[in-house]
Amino acid sequence: MQFAQSILVYFILALAVAYLLKKFVLPKRLFTAKKNTSKSCGDGDCGCH
Amino acid sequence: MSKQINVALIGNPNTGKTSVFNALTGLNQKVGNYPGITVEKKEGICKLPRGVKAHILDLPGTYSLNTTSLDESVVVELLLNKNDKDFPDIAIVVSDVENLKRNLLLFTQIQDLKVPTMLVINMADRMIKKGITLDTQALEAKLNTKIALVSTRKGSGIDRIKELIADYKNLPITSNIDTVQIAPDYFERLKKVFPKEDIYKLWLVITQDVNFMPIVKKTINDDTDFALKTKSELKKMQHRETVLRYKFINDSLKETLTIDTNAAKGLRASLDKILTHKVFGYLIFFCILLLIFQAIYDWSSYPMDFIDEFFASASEWVKNTLPPGALTNLLAEGILAGIGGIVIFIPQIAFLFFFIAILEESGYMSRVVFLMDRLMRPFGLSGKSVVPLISGTACAIPAVMATRNIDNWKERLITILVVPFTTCSARLPVYLIIIALVIPEGSFLGLSYQALTLMSLYLLGFGVAIISAMILNKILKIRSGSFFVMEMPNYKLPLPKNVIYTVWEKTKSFVLGAGKIILAISIVLWFLGSNGISDDYKNAETIVENRIKSEGLPEINQLTIQTQLEDYKKELQFGITRGLYKINPQALNDSIEIHKEYLYKKAIEQEISSFELEHSYIGYMGKAIEPIVKPLGYDWKIGIAVITSFAAREVFVGTLATIYSVGSDQEETIKNRMAAEINQDNNKPLFNLASGISLLLFYAFAMQCMSTLAIVKRETNTWKWPMAQLVFMSIFAYIVALIAYQTLK
Repeated sequence: MQFAQSILVYFILALAVAYLLKKFVLPKRLFTAKKNTSKSCGDGDCGCH
Repeated sequence: MSKQINVALIGNPNTGKTSVFNALTGLNQKVGNYPGITVEKKEGICKLPRGVKAHILDLPGTYSLNTTSLDESVVVELLLNKNDKDFPDIAIVVSDVENLKRNLLLFTQIQDLKVPTMLVINMADRMIKKGITLDTQALEAKLNTKIALVSTRKGSGIDRIKELIADYKNLPITSNIDTVQIAPDYFERLKKVFPKEDIYKLWLVITQDVNFMPIVKKTINDDTDFALKTKSELKKMQHRETVLRYKFINDSLKETLTIDTNAAKGLRASLDKILTHKVFGYLIFFCILLLIFQAIYDWSSYPMDFIDEFFASASEWVKNTLPPGALTNLLAEGILAGIGGIVIFIPQIAFLFFFIAILEESGYMSRVVFLMDRLMRPFGLSGKSVVPLISGTACAIPAVMATRNIDNWKERLITILVVPFTTCSARLPVYLIIIALVIPEGSFLGLSYQALTLMSLYLLGFGVAIISAMILNKILKIRSGSFFVMEMPNYKLPLPKNVIYTVWEKTKSFVLGAGKIILAISIVLWFLGSNGISDDYKNAETIVENRIKSEGLPEINQLTIQTQLEDYKKELQFGITRGLYKINPQALNDSIEIHKEYLYKKAIEQEISSFELEHSYIGYMGKAIEPIVKPLGYDWKIGIAVITSFAAREVFVGTLATIYSVGSDQEETIKNRMAAEINQDNNKPLFNLASGISLLLFYAFAMQCMSTLAIVKRETNTWKWPMAQLVFMSIFAYIVALIAYQTLK
């Protein structure tokens, strides 16, 4: 029983680490579909260029 | 397969476009009674009669197609680009019945782009009250369009909009003004050079500083036969266009719209006079803030205590019920403790958003923006920056996005940089728990010290934001100069549906947004706190028992045991004198001895847990950073919480709840666990006034939010500004917290 519990804990831990990596470390573009990102954005000094 | 109709909802700010969008799509996008809520386009699907579907786009508000800010240019970009997949088959201009004349300026511009356009006149329920009569049929004829008179508050007129969308092919495509009239010579030449292009579209391309495919401004620039005008000449021509349009609008409304001005005046004017008064306006706002913070403390204490105890009991139940093992410990000490650390704040968050929703819905928030504009000017910011700063009380992320309605780049950048100083809801859990621990429970003029402290922290955040803005205004060498014109919406009785929805949505996003991160961090922390590799960790029990045998229990533990034993004796004596139970002196002594042994055993177990924690993975990590946080009055456990809360501030409480519960067998609430923590250096409570104030100030100023950094990077398109923000805010927070602790300790 204790062994099974330990296995489950390691599995949950792996999921938690994977989630945190996905959220904060790995680049978002790995998980999102490619979108049209062309943006025209106003004045020349708007900071988006 | 039936064709999907592309529909664009366009209109002046605060005319209820998003309310129409919600009514058509059945979605629940955020609405409010102040301008500038929608800064990005939103989409939804609407089912129309005869099985037709419409793809509805809700666009940011704009007063005309002569745009000045980033959010407004979204509309022009869409209308000028026929290749855009969202290019509308029909444009719906949503207008407010009380400001129809001004709203029609945008309507006539869109119609002149030869896009099928219909007019939705919203807030029809206010017509009688405001003495407005409108001949819609006559106006339809004058404007060459179809009109739907609706009230999104009452839910009337929505079916008419659906019918008109389904019938969009029958909408006439006409011009309201002859564009050539704006500047005959100029436009005639333009026509000759670009005979195949629509002249009004070309005019917009010339006047807007953006590139629209397939008509690219460069093409016009490169044409040697055609010279562009200077900026000021173009502005003059835009003014001429506006005059021509208003002439047309006045002619159209002359016989179709009547307003009884006597009926229109009344309560609004009187209320505005008081609520925006130079002195009373600020006083009333201050009192409203006081009321809100007092209510947050008074009303939420009962549900908070209930939730806290519920999680403590649930943790105890899991330990006693499930078979012993790592998973049971993870559930009881890691997951439940961590989640409990965030769920406990639901009542306070809900009350905060309840009040914010009422202020927004009633129209009072716009008056606050107006009041703040006066305060902001000396600091180099306009009222346009107030909307993001106020929405920053919920979360810095939408607040940073809300800066898109600031047309001046310098002002926008400064606002983006200072917004994270305003007290967001993620700081609330940290503030609440620390205030509850270190600020006494007394009151001053009926207002509790704790509520006053919380309010001071909100004011402090706002104050530092505007002082930083003033400094940045002097440092940043960017051309500036802007104006602020804001429309005051009417006062409205808040719709319970909207208030409840806002509270529900905000609370849900607070719990789920941070909840997933907290859950994951709690699991990782529990693992790091429950495992270790060193010999000290593995032999913790033997080491501690040997130490206790040779040195005895630490003095503080002995004192605690003595106090607890005295309490137990008193309890027994009380029972005996009240006749609750009869007990002979020998049995009494035995009972006291057994309880003493139990307390010693518990203290030894606690010592072992504490030793294990100190020598676990997390213990070593915490000890490594302790020298940095010690001068601020924090121990290594708080240091770990500060580091993990860099992901999101609210993780702080969840982290401490998890760390303190690792190895603990007692059913304790988070607050009690924190209150029982002892500073090993002086054997006094770890959370005292000095360390508490130091923590409050650290969290007031530190940039503890990765998501905000990411959104600042997105909005400024460089890592330079978020990194500058992170470094400055962290150093500033550290120095202020250090000074506070060293002064107060």
